[in-house]
Amino acid sequence: MKSLDIVFSGVGGQGVVVLSDIYCEAAMLDGFDAAKAEIHGMAQRGGSIVAYARIGDKVQSPLIETGKADAIVGFEILETARALPMLKKNGTVIVNMKYIPPSCATVGVKPKKTEELLEMLRAKAKVYEVDGIGIAQQLGNLLVVNTVLLGALSALPQIPVKADSFKQAIAGRLKEKYINLNLKAFQLGRESVLKS
Amino acid sequence: MTSKIAVDKPGSFALLNGDEAVARGAVEATVKVAASYPGTPATEILEAIAEVAKELDIYAEWSVNEIVAVEVAAGASMAGVRSMASMKHVGLNVAADAAMTLAYTGVEGGMVIAVCDDPALHSSQNEQDTRYFAVHAKLPLLDAGNPQEAHDMAKEAFEISEKLHLPVILRLTTRVAHGKAKVKLGDFQRLKRKPEFDKVGSKWVMVPSNAIRQHRVLEVKMAEAKTLANHSKFNFIEDNGSDIGIIGSGVGYYYARSVLDTKKFSWLKLGFVYPFPQEIVKRFALKVKKLIVIEELRPYLEENIQRLGLRVIGKDQLGLEEIGELTPDSVRKALASRKLTEKAEEPELVKLPPRPPALCPGCPHRAFYYALNMVNQHIECDNDKCVGCDICEYVCSFEKEKVFNPLKSRIRSIRIGQTFNTAVTCKACIDTPCITACPEDALAVSSKTGAIIVDEEKCKGCDWCIEACKYGAITLHPTSHKAIVCDMCGGDPKCIPLCPESALSLTGKSDDKIITGDIGCYTLGVLPPINSVQTCLCMGGGIGQAAGMVHAGVKDKVFAVIGDSTFFHAGMPGLLNAVYNKANVCVIILDNSVVAMTGHQPTPGSGKTAMGTDAKIVRLQDIAKGVGIEKIVTVDPYNIKGTTQAIREIMEYNAPSVIISQRACPLLVERGKPREVTDKCNGCGVCVKAFGCPAIALSNERAEIDTTLCYGCGVCQTVCPFEAIKETEK
Repeated sequence: MKSLDIVFSGVGGQGVVVLSDIYCEAAMLDGFDAAKAEIHGMAQRGGSIVAYARIGDKVQSPLIETGKADAIVGFEILETARALPMLKKNGTVIVNMKYIPPSCATVGVKPKKTEELLEMLRAKAKVYEVDGIGIAQQLGNLLVVNTVLLGALSALPQIPVKADSFKQAIAGRLKEKYINLNLKAFQLGRESVLKS
Repeated sequence: MTSKIAVDKPGSFALLNGDEAVARGAVEATVKVAASYPGTPATEILEAIAEVAKELDIYAEWSVNEIVAVEVAAGASMAGVRSMASMKHVGLNVAADAAMTLAYTGVEGGMVIAVCDDPALHSSQNEQDTRYFAVHAKLPLLDAGNPQEAHDMAKEAFEISEKLHLPVILRLTTRVAHGKAKVKLGDFQRLKRKPEFDKVGSKWVMVPSNAIRQHRVLEVKMAEAKTLANHSKFNFIEDNGSDIGIIGSGVGYYYARSVLDTKKFSWLKLGFVYPFPQEIVKRFALKVKKLIVIEELRPYLEENIQRLGLRVIGKDQLGLEEIGELTPDSVRKALASRKLTEKAEEPELVKLPPRPPALCPGCPHRAFYYALNMVNQHIECDNDKCVGCDICEYVCSFEKEKVFNPLKSRIRSIRIGQTFNTAVTCKACIDTPCITACPEDALAVSSKTGAIIVDEEKCKGCDWCIEACKYGAITLHPTSHKAIVCDMCGGDPKCIPLCPESALSLTGKSDDKIITGDIGCYTLGVLPPINSVQTCLCMGGGIGQAAGMVHAGVKDKVFAVIGDSTFFHAGMPGLLNAVYNKANVCVIILDNSVVAMTGHQPTPGSGKTAMGTDAKIVRLQDIAKGVGIEKIVTVDPYNIKGTTQAIREIMEYNAPSVIISQRACPLLVERGKPREVTDKCNGCGVCVKAFGCPAIALSNERAEIDTTLCYGCGVCQTVCPFEAIKETEK
């Protein structure tokens, strides 16, 4: 199979890197090759962060070509819109319905309204709007938003990785006491896409 | 959970980044001593080894800088065990003195210097290409193109090193070091080496007579190395019978493979690139009609191939720059220009506000820079908001004299024509012309607030200061006939919160002093709204630069800002030099007791080692005192006023001095209660436009704090002139 290319996009501190790791580890459990890239360094929190994850029978390099990504998993609405040029025509977007305004008061660019950003997404892609924070609040821990998004990603029809492999990868990455909570978050995220 | 680096399952797979893969390769090869200094993108090599060090009987350390790391690794190798030093590309410059001569002395146990280049400067100050360093030093170099190669090369590099008795450089680039991929793990070699040093071997003593002999030895070793390169498994041909042959090294080779139909071309992948493997290149050239070279940064392969008398399509013909990193996009464009693949469609441009890197919420560096900018604070009026109501004048006269009389106000409301209103008060000029003009020495700067203070005993009401002030900010009191000027009410000007239009604010300056910078999170102080940092050259460079400016004769006060770890790394000689050569600089050490930028590695000031054991805490104060600094001030940057006052005192001090700004990195301490904005907020924007905390945003003329981002440092409470920020209940 040709490689399946996913862009994970968010703000530093949201867990973009960890989530894209787990995604690749899940794919490897199902025997796929995997390669990913991200940039660490400079500010620890608050800057844009993008991770590319590619899985397939054989993946040559970790970077995705512009306009060739199969899907974007956006942790934040503005950063999801920023990743749009990476997406292929008729690609899929999973977006966490959270907007973090950039400190552009100091940069002099007017922020766009949330609705405008969502329109940009809808104009180009099939969009799944996931209430990550709502679901996380329901589970009583705001830190599981990224696992909710992983659940949502796992439910996309083009993802060849088994749900069980995702769960195994999640369990392999976390401390014992957080595993159940995250598995629930995964399931709720998965259902949110399957239902829509 | 066992670390992936220590899992003893040869043949199994793990998702590793290039750094972790190097660590794993080294561990498999029985590395005994590993040393490094943190630097993106090389940090995780030593981190991964340190994590398993105790378990696998390895010694791992964060050295204070890269040359020490190379020396430590060299010492271990001289004692016969395998060792590794790892660093980012610019770290190799620091280590160059040791590395260059190690090529002469050679090594005993296998020694690998793992170096990560950073094309596109994701987190660096230059884009140097380490392949040329290898040429310069005459050290063999392996160039990894993905994590699997990084792993395999790390392991093999020890073998090569022991065959040649030379250190071997293993080069990664950011996309290899920080790219993760499925890596097949190998077996642990479990070598048993007895550490012994040959005390009589003259090859370790590089006095000229020995060194020239060793130089000859090096030339013999390089001839041998050339043979190894020509037969290396990392240089391989994939002959698909094509007329077009593509030669590449590093990640660029794999970008070419991902954008081309691989079966339509023949391929030569070069991994052991110095000494240059001429024979395999010549062999490959005979198989094809056209040679195309794909490589990142400088045209190293290209020049070497041309030297063989071969024609090659390289950087210029492909339109690939030496600047920045290759991407699949740029490689596709280059190859499409030669009609070897299809062009990509031009992507639609999306215009969105940027989200540049910023100091984190709660960062003590931001608080310190804010305090530094507030040294010459003054009241500024926003002309667009001011309606000329004169209330500030009444507030001022009442505050100062308990009367409502604009003639007794220190702030003056001014109206020009129908539309322009503003209020003027002392601008806190750096050169203080009013003080210079006063014949009675009646004016002085308050160290507490930075405001001009009038000594009424001395003032004779001569008017000279009024003439000298180009802003018209000084007046004569109508009854006492003494000069009156804004004293900022001791630091909390009463006019600001009472201005009904929120037109007044307390404003600082970033261009009233020279502030040299250094390498670390705090370099981000160059960005708006802080705008404090004016230079960034190299580790520790800011202190020398500051001294140079002083010796050049600049009028401004010169500050050098440096982080605690950078100070330990390369700042100490600069400070000693400033003392010895009498440079009147103030060195500001931003001490968060950790290497924050690269992911919180311990420092000599942290009390911990790389392997997690306790260490002696080295105090910055003791070092400063030890090198002869007589004025050392320690401040808490969260205390803005106290910090600003300390800096003002240093402004008047005329000898080398040190300010230590001490606060732990907020990412390592428990969060405080998040802050929230109350109804008192009128959207003046100081917290965003002057302080610039990313947890605060202005929307609908009001500040809002994102409680999930807020670290609860509470500095914004000090910054807000309206007391409109408070602790949340929870």
